[in-house]
Amino acid sequence: MLRNLGMYFRLVGCDLRSQMTFRLSFWIDLFSTMAVNASMFASLYLVLERFGNIGGWGLGELAFLYGLAETSFGLMDMIFSGFDYDYFSTLVREGRLDQILLRPVPPAVQVMGHRFVLRRVGRILQGAAVLILSFFLVDMFWTPLKVAFLPVVLASQVVAMGALFIAGSTLTIWTIQRVEAINILTYGGVELMSYPASIYPRALRAIFTYILPFFFLSYYPALFFLDKTDPLGLPVWPPFLAPMVAGGMLWLALRFWKFGLKHYQSTGS
Amino acid sequence: MTAIISVRDLRKTFRVLVRRPGLGGSIANLFAPHYRSVQAVEGVSFSLQAGELVGYLGPNGAGKSTTIKVLTGLLVPTGGEVRVDGQVPWEKRERYVKGIGVVFGNRPTLWWDLPVIDSLELLQPMYDIPAERFRYNLVEFKRMLELDEFINTPVRSLSLGQRMRADLCAALLHEPKLLFLDEPTIGLDVVAKEQIRRFVLDINHRRGVTVLLTTHDLTDVERLCERVMILDHGKLLYDGTLAALNGRFESAWTLKVDFEEEYPDVSVAGLPAPQRVGRQALYLFNHRELNTAELVQQLMARFQVVDLEVRRPPLEETIRRIYAEQLLTK
Repeated sequence: MLRNLGMYFRLVGCDLRSQMTFRLSFWIDLFSTMAVNASMFASLYLVLERFGNIGGWGLGELAFLYGLAETSFGLMDMIFSGFDYDYFSTLVREGRLDQILLRPVPPAVQVMGHRFVLRRVGRILQGAAVLILSFFLVDMFWTPLKVAFLPVVLASQVVAMGALFIAGSTLTIWTIQRVEAINILTYGGVELMSYPASIYPRALRAIFTYILPFFFLSYYPALFFLDKTDPLGLPVWPPFLAPMVAGGMLWLALRFWKFGLKHYQSTGS
Repeated sequence: MTAIISVRDLRKTFRVLVRRPGLGGSIANLFAPHYRSVQAVEGVSFSLQAGELVGYLGPNGAGKSTTIKVLTGLLVPTGGEVRVDGQVPWEKRERYVKGIGVVFGNRPTLWWDLPVIDSLELLQPMYDIPAERFRYNLVEFKRMLELDEFINTPVRSLSLGQRMRADLCAALLHEPKLLFLDEPTIGLDVVAKEQIRRFVLDINHRRGVTVLLTTHDLTDVERLCERVMILDHGKLLYDGTLAALNGRFESAWTLKVDFEEEYPDVSVAGLPAPQRVGRQALYLFNHRELNTAELVQQLMARFQVVDLEVRRPPLEETIRRIYAEQLLTK
């Protein structure tokens, strides 16, 4: 385990060094992602200006959800970018997965170490800015439990979305091409986590609570942080399921990943 | 002596999606995919002793790469038994690959954006190579493969020959007992090919590394291998020495003779009439029936001979005949 972690940091270090050789494109990317995301939040603000609230959630509360999801998605996209479908399916197509499988280090560690996209820092900073802003907008009442639990929720979101990245990449082992449907799950998942569950129809709520438990990662924890009560009157524990849910998703994703590698057929030469 | 590689009745069947054309076709593919089975390897058995250097030959699609991929743990076979150095390659792959070296001629094995030296140095912790052995091997391989001229260049900027030399070094730094080479000289110029052959011979002789080599370049085989295995349509057609293969299947040898003068009749009993150009004659003879010395003696006894040249058909031709005339089909 420790050895794998060491190997991971070594690989990431190498990748960062090669990224630094393209310094200009790094800054361009950084600013363009920041601009894109800022405009997304601006449009949310404009909608709220008009309607006052969404599903009983005001601007500050929405900013909390949105900031949290953006920060964790940015972090995930930076750490798990080796499992980005576009990138991973290229590894499969070009036969570079073979090279990974021929090295005595767990393939998941190598794939993650293969690519660490530093320029996601833009999205992360921006998400964090919105999140911090939201603390003031809602005039957050901080308790020690909240202070301790916030990083846990963040980490849970990162891990859960990373699990989806892993599962989606595993699919490309069979399809070689990337699968659009998976994008709906991950990118859709972030969108979903950026809004309160109460605005969605019953069926969708059920799906994203029990089948793909996104709401345990964002909505329920947010209720706890914002001292809101669930309109459906759930007990007090759902907000604290986030780490369990994330761990479960990662475990399942890694099982699927192992299964996929067993069935990997390599590309002909 | 026990075998380092033993393969019994290896089979591998691929399921290939049959793509139907057009929009309707792609929708049909999505909901009712239609698969076709392709048998890449159909019951291959062989074994290699430690220290052997064996050529694995066959036309494209014969199943060579599939065999190599099974032996290196990349593919799980459909059937059969494989033991390499006492292990089943695909079972504990991460442990298994520590003991083997692999070079695929058509794909890089090093990190694309890193300078060669950084890439090589990553391998030390990866394979847990003792620092001292690593230094020693690196110095030796750098010298033998002349890596110093491009050791600080990123892999993506290397020429094909340079990349292959770096890949060979990378495949051997952890001192594997076994080396798998899949088309190591593909696309290289004569000088680069020769350098790689010399290196492979050297590590086989001096370090005792067992080598299994697939190639299309039969000069590789002639220079390197005593033993060859020939595969076609997923079946092993021949497994034996190169000399025996030539003995059995080589087509006619050619003897070119320059005579002192233009004799009216230079034909030899039992051979087809020679082709003649002025004072020169070309005899085709089957070396299994008539050895070269006898033929030369006969000619020298009858005529004034100025010059002689014996030509053996290239291995390419022998192999081509084996495929074309299906000489080995059981």
